[in-house]
Amino acid sequence: MNAETNIFAGLDMARLDKRRRRINRIMLSLTAVATLFAVIPLFWITIYVIIKGGSYLNLDLFIHLPQAMGTEGGGVLHAIEGSAVMVLFASIFAIPPALLAAFYLLHHPNTPLANFLRFSTDLLSGIPSIVVGLFGYAVIVIVQKHYSALAGSVVLAIIMLPVILRSAEEMLKLVPQELREGALALGSPEWKSALTVVLPAAAEGVVTGIMLGIARAAGETAPLIFTALGNDNYEIFQYIRQTIQYRQGVGEAFKLILEQPTDALPLTLWKYAQQPYPERVQQAWAVALVLMLFVLSLNIAARLWLAKRRRQRYG
Amino acid sequence: MPEKQTIKIDIRDVSVHYGTFQALTGVSMPAYENKVTAIIGPSGCGKSTLLRSINRMNDLVPHFRIEGTVTLDGEDIYAPRRDVVDIRRRIGMVFQRPNPFPMSIYNNVAYGPRLYHIRSKNVLDEIVERSLRQAALWEEVKDKLHQSGLSISGGQQQRLCIARAIAVQPEVILMDEPASALDPIATLKIEELMHELKKNYTIIIVTHNMQQAARVSDYTAMMMLSDSESRSGTVIEFDETERIFTNPKDKRTEDYVTGRFG
Repeated sequence: MNAETNIFAGLDMARLDKRRRRINRIMLSLTAVATLFAVIPLFWITIYVIIKGGSYLNLDLFIHLPQAMGTEGGGVLHAIEGSAVMVLFASIFAIPPALLAAFYLLHHPNTPLANFLRFSTDLLSGIPSIVVGLFGYAVIVIVQKHYSALAGSVVLAIIMLPVILRSAEEMLKLVPQELREGALALGSPEWKSALTVVLPAAAEGVVTGIMLGIARAAGETAPLIFTALGNDNYEIFQYIRQTIQYRQGVGEAFKLILEQPTDALPLTLWKYAQQPYPERVQQAWAVALVLMLFVLSLNIAARLWLAKRRRQRYG
Repeated sequence: MPEKQTIKIDIRDVSVHYGTFQALTGVSMPAYENKVTAIIGPSGCGKSTLLRSINRMNDLVPHFRIEGTVTLDGEDIYAPRRDVVDIRRRIGMVFQRPNPFPMSIYNNVAYGPRLYHIRSKNVLDEIVERSLRQAALWEEVKDKLHQSGLSISGGQQQRLCIARAIAVQPEVILMDEPASALDPIATLKIEELMHELKKNYTIIIVTHNMQQAARVSDYTAMMMLSDSESRSGTVIEFDETERIFTNPKDKRTEDYVTGRFG
């Protein structure tokens, strides 16, 4: 073939161009439709819950305990506080080991232990949450002979752990190696470079992962049925205040509340939705909205904090 | 040689392996006190590996193995029970790409001193100012010390990294192509800075840029892959920079510095 040979000779270029453009249009419309299908459920659920729950939402819900069945009014303060306490303790149990393990994976990515760790966290995140709940029942509830917020927090921590671990690993991997080396070259020990340079540099991603884990744990119902059980008539924060007042000790207060069967928002939602009383079903819708607001407000708080931090550190 | 020189760093017959891969073979060269020593040579000949062996940064690489000795003031830095932290405090490093930590300019410079438990605000203030002055950055940043270290230009960031390195008062500064990511003006500033810094420090610089080596260094080590079977890097010639560039002994050095290599 010499340089003058026209490789396009004999082809109807105009027709081929037209065909290419037509296929392009069709594929583009298909992807647009698919995108629409992906976002419809999100907006549908959100709007539906806002409309249904919003009409039953009132201040009582946030400041009162439940009233007797079949009566109007009352609130779900016990569940809001229960969710807050159990999510808090689940985070305390899950975040430190998840971050430490993520650092292990970062520094020893290809050891047999690292591969085993990755494999088992993937398995763990695939275990149905009700099975995790059953596990909590077997190893904590049975042993202690009573349901408790502690058991609830532990199973929620188990559910959060793989989410935080894997996202933290990915985020830490994105931190340039030069930053870690920069600190080490100054004579920093590895742990200090991890804590003061690498982790802060990855903070945005790591916090996002933690928020995902918290959202996941805050929405779990099944594992709590076996562990925290539920507790209708108990205002946790007041209980903490009183304990501190009389026994003088925050540790003592938390020890006591961790021992109690405790309610949580998704648990309350699940129970109320099955009640024959229309007031309860209406409250269930409101609780659904409160649960969404609970996760949303945590997320917004985290974003605000990150944005402020970003301005300071990255200018 | 006109004046008596003190050997600060002495590299003797060093070979480096990463697992089964041999990166360096039989490298020997000195670095004289208060002089700038340049390491030049083609890509992949082990310049950075050699540099990173001097402050034991290669310890971080899995399966790293070193033979031979590297001494600092006559003490073997790879001796058993030798404190890596102490080595790295005495031998600072500036990297190829500016790598300020994501924190304020002040905290970047104070990071090292704080590692060594200097807590007093007055002392830290003094160290920060002195280090930034030595790195010729003080005038440009003195009004924004609490702004992010990442908010300044690339050339300023690199001088910030130099300030961060000298804040712990090292004896030796290793520079791994410190100007390769910078524009010519910022490069010039770094080069001028090196002339100032060598009054107080011993500097070893890896560079791809031969004009830079000729401009800034007193001594030059020419590295190349050996012809032996292992194809690993070695220093083929070490001499005063002027000699390397005007009258090299090795034909390969001559070809390289005159641009006829390859």
